[in-house]
Amino acid sequence: MSHLFEHNGAGGRGYSQPDPIAPSENIQIPSSLVRSNLPRWPRLSEPEMVRHYTWLSSRNFGIDTGFYPLGSCTMKHNPRVNEVIAQLPGIADIHPLQPEHQIQGTLAIFHEMQDMLGICAGMDAVTLQPVAGAQGEFTAIRCIQEYFRSRGELGRTKVIVPDSAHGTNPASASMAGFEIIEIPSQEDGRLDLDALRAVVGDDTAAMMITNPSTLGVFEPEIAEAAEIVHNAGGQMYYDGANFNAILGLTSPGLMGFDAVHYNLHKTFSQPHGGGGPGSGPIGVKSHLAEFLPGPVVKRRPIMPNDQVTAANHEWWYHWHEPESSIGKVQQWHGNSGAVIRCWAYYRRYGRGLKTMSQHAVLNANYLRHRIIKEAEKAGVRHQFVDGAPVDVVKHEFTISMAPMKEQCGIGAMDIAKGLLDKGYMAPTVYFPLIVPECMMVEPTETESKETLDEFAKKFVEVLQEDPETLHNAPVTTKVRRVDEVYAARNLTLSYPFDE
Amino acid sequence: MVDQLPNLGREKEMLEAMGMSSLDDLFADIPERVKMTDELPLPPPQSEEEIIADARRLLGANVALGDRVSFLGAGLNRNYVPSSVFQLVTRGEFLTSYTPYQPEVSQGMLQAMWEFQTLISELVGLEVANLSVYDVSTAAAEALTCSVRVHNRKATQKDTVYVSELIPPSRMSVIHNYTQGGGIIVKTLKHNSDGTLDLNSLEEAAGSCGIYVEQPNPLGILDGGLTRVKEIIGEHTAFIVGVAPVSLGLVEAPGNYGADIVVGEGQALGSPITYGGPLYGIFACTKAYLRQMPGRIVGRSIDVDGKEAFCLTLSTREQHIRRHRATSNICTNETLIALMGAMHMSLLGPEGLQKLAQRNMAACQLAKQKLSELGTITLPHLSSANFNEFVVELPGSAADCLTYLDTQGLIGGFDLSTWYPERRNWLLVSFSDQTKATEIELLAAHLAVWSASLVQGVAA
Repeated sequence: MSHLFEHNGAGGRGYSQPDPIAPSENIQIPSSLVRSNLPRWPRLSEPEMVRHYTWLSSRNFGIDTGFYPLGSCTMKHNPRVNEVIAQLPGIADIHPLQPEHQIQGTLAIFHEMQDMLGICAGMDAVTLQPVAGAQGEFTAIRCIQEYFRSRGELGRTKVIVPDSAHGTNPASASMAGFEIIEIPSQEDGRLDLDALRAVVGDDTAAMMITNPSTLGVFEPEIAEAAEIVHNAGGQMYYDGANFNAILGLTSPGLMGFDAVHYNLHKTFSQPHGGGGPGSGPIGVKSHLAEFLPGPVVKRRPIMPNDQVTAANHEWWYHWHEPESSIGKVQQWHGNSGAVIRCWAYYRRYGRGLKTMSQHAVLNANYLRHRIIKEAEKAGVRHQFVDGAPVDVVKHEFTISMAPMKEQCGIGAMDIAKGLLDKGYMAPTVYFPLIVPECMMVEPTETESKETLDEFAKKFVEVLQEDPETLHNAPVTTKVRRVDEVYAARNLTLSYPFDE
Repeated sequence: MVDQLPNLGREKEMLEAMGMSSLDDLFADIPERVKMTDELPLPPPQSEEEIIADARRLLGANVALGDRVSFLGAGLNRNYVPSSVFQLVTRGEFLTSYTPYQPEVSQGMLQAMWEFQTLISELVGLEVANLSVYDVSTAAAEALTCSVRVHNRKATQKDTVYVSELIPPSRMSVIHNYTQGGGIIVKTLKHNSDGTLDLNSLEEAAGSCGIYVEQPNPLGILDGGLTRVKEIIGEHTAFIVGVAPVSLGLVEAPGNYGADIVVGEGQALGSPITYGGPLYGIFACTKAYLRQMPGRIVGRSIDVDGKEAFCLTLSTREQHIRRHRATSNICTNETLIALMGAMHMSLLGPEGLQKLAQRNMAACQLAKQKLSELGTITLPHLSSANFNEFVVELPGSAADCLTYLDTQGLIGGFDLSTWYPERRNWLLVSFSDQTKATEIELLAAHLAVWSASLVQGVAA
């Protein structure tokens, strides 16, 4: 055990600093503002600090550690060259208030990213500003809100979401001031058009939906759903969390959507960083473009007086403020560092992004198939059922452990903990809420056939463990099952110095 | 592409195992009417070598702050970040993990974030800190909506918050987007001509849900009057302070002068500016606000053997459980950048933080002294204490001055008319631990030449 706050070596300073450039005695601070006590921060030398964080890293599981089939999160490999590029001074050491002629290279990359994202989603305009998927949702819903306000349609106060939706959808629309109408899915998890027809009307602002759905299933009637919403005067919003399944194969634009957010940290491999940063650009059809958060990057042919650099010998890149912009959702230009990494990732595929999606779907179907085959062979196929009874899934699939839960009290969480003992990250559990005892598995395209074969075997081995073992799992991890109720009842949110 | 797809060339084998013959079979469920028929109109794939060459060409064409003498800050600061931070943060176990939903295999990041919460808590003088929101602008916005959730029932000014009139329009715009949905009325707090908060006008804010001010304020001024704010607005109005975290090595922690919520731009601790993102927003509060605060929190717990262990806690506030009743929609946050912050703070220690604050402040003070000696320009807030930045009033427009300085190889600062249109001649100049005395001399010399040319021009 290493506790940061127990490091307190006398005079220990992790890095030495030059002295102030003027005598510090001359520093003036209003007397009422002079700090009375310094923070109780630890005192570590550099070697102690390096060892502490290396030790912590050894207690953490990442994609680099092993297979990470966390459904809905698209935990694909993160190429390291992207990190090298993001550390170049041309992005790490530039300021968002520098004049355009000093940052033509960044603007050129942003322009390329706006174009590419628009093409892939079938959208007319893109802003890179939102810094996470949830913020992208919020931003797009705000654009739709201002669109209706500009048309005097003030009665459109409701946003429809299916009960299979990510929690961020209702949370984002609610933050923008909309009332949420949740509609039930059909028995098989698909969108229920009758339920949709029953709730649309002249109070409908938008429907928010992801496709493939959170069950990993393509909604075959998506175009019909779009027609129903459009006929009622509403807008269609595409949650891009599952975009990795469809690049080059279909697009939100083709399905009839008006707005979409992209999770660059999912589809385009910005590392998830233990919880962030992400990046959540949005794309919209032309009628919503003037409401986008500004500025967005535009370009014009180079002119004689322009300062030409290696980045802009043909075009001059410049910021543009959309006419009726909703304003800003992050103070500067979004998570630019993430956008640059994702540009590097996109360049690796180019038009081959379609192959990327094909392989994501191939791997998901193959793994689903292999798990079923292994379970049949071992005689445990009856212990789980499909979350959605379909022939093919897209980039992920769900299974319900409800039968096993009924038979022997072993649920999705126990299976998840059993998988940790096999050296895997567990799939997403208990989501979507409409599948009881749900496990949501998303292998991504960057896993080999051998990894998938092995995981299927180990998964079925876990199903065959005796209930006692699974209730006690995990046993091989750095700590064993953590008591979350204890944490909530005995709130200790910081180091107890006085303990 | 080929280096990223291990199953390239093995499609047939895998398809046959499933009784399929073509990749198209996997997409048979997509109706014809929505299928993409043409190839994506994008260029062919590139190799890693080609990508990095393009990146170097494009990004190399930018002017980096380090290429010039720069005085551009405006809330983002170029403090030195030690090498070990960059080396450690790219460890794959941190970099390629996600939200620690399975605590048993995520103790490293959970403990690091619990330690981050402690570091922030100690820094700002409040009991609770979350593990980051996006940036200071969203932190301020979320603090204001949080204050309404906590205080609206007892407030005499329902759904009303007050924000300092100096807050830049870009930050105000974020606040507007986050508050308009809840029907929150945002009123402004006035400042005196010396830049300090007008404490008389502050009385109007009593009975509202919350007020937001910054220390130092957007003009870099440290305002001693803020220590009297809480007694004026009373216990039922949240006192929200935005801070520059490095300043707290010298300046009193707002929690010790009555702040209920402290937010801040964490960037100067641990992170390069990176064109304004990713950054990390600090969010800390007293226990009274805990259950209404946005974002993730790590708690200390035990495992089944009674061993110390960490996990996410109070998740019932969050969107994945509470859906449209959540305190915020935030899900993905800025954990990795916060981790860089924690590493930097660990290396600094209390005395290192104090020294870092002294270096920042000494540079600012030296510059103030040098520029005040010029005569051709004035410093409207000469008598105030400033952290990181201050205002220079020029004899001509700041935009013209910046153009001139650019031709001399300097990034001269920030044209404040961008924020306050009537302040055409106000230049905001910024200094950090990286500022050298010779650079200040250079700025003074160029400002003297430019100002003199204007004065002579007028005389002629």
